[in-house]
Amino acid sequence: MAKIFAKNLSKKNVMSSDGSILGALYNVVIDIRTGELINLVVKPDMSVDRSLYRSEGNYMLIPFGAVRAIKDVMVVDKIEALNR
Amino acid sequence: MHAELTSLFGLNVYTDKGLYVGNVNDVVIETADRLVTGLALTKVNQELFDVSREGVILPYRWVLAIGDIVLVKQVNRLAKKDESE
Repeated sequence: MAKIFAKNLSKKNVMSSDGSILGALYNVVIDIRTGELINLVVKPDMSVDRSLYRSEGNYMLIPFGAVRAIKDVMVVDKIEALNR
Repeated sequence: MHAELTSLFGLNVYTDKGLYVGNVNDVVIETADRLVTGLALTKVNQELFDVSREGVILPYRWVLAIGDIVLVKQVNRLAKKDESE
C-alpha cells in the first residue's frame, strides 16, 4: 500500500476477504485534527446483509483498520469489518 | 472532529497570516499508515509558487484547522519548501 489520491478511490468496489462483494466506496471519514483515516463509507451491494455492519443511513461504515489491500478493488478483512 | 473526506474538496486554503494559498482539488492518503498526508491544491497563489506548476501538494501537518476554509501554518518561503515534497 502506498500514497494515493483520494479521488482515485471513489466508487471503487469493496470486497470482503472471503471473496464476496460488499459494495462501492462512497466516502472516507477522517479525523481532521490528526489526519487519521477512521471509516470507509460504503454503498452496500444488494446481496449484503447490512445488519452485520455498522450503518449510517443507507451506507455501511467499515473501520479503515480492516483494509488489507487497495488496487483494482479494495479488500477488507472479513472479521474486522463486522460490527462488534 | 470527524469529517467526510469529500467535504474538503473545493475548500479555499489560507495561511494563519491571511495569505491565500490555493484550492483543495484532491487529498493524498497513505493507506499503510492510515493517514492523510497532504492536500493537493490547484488555483494556487502564483506569488507563492512557481507559475509553471499546475498545482502543489501541501503537507497535512501544516494544517491548523478546517471549517469553511482550510487554515495552514505560514511557513517561511512556503514555495521553496513545497517543491521538495
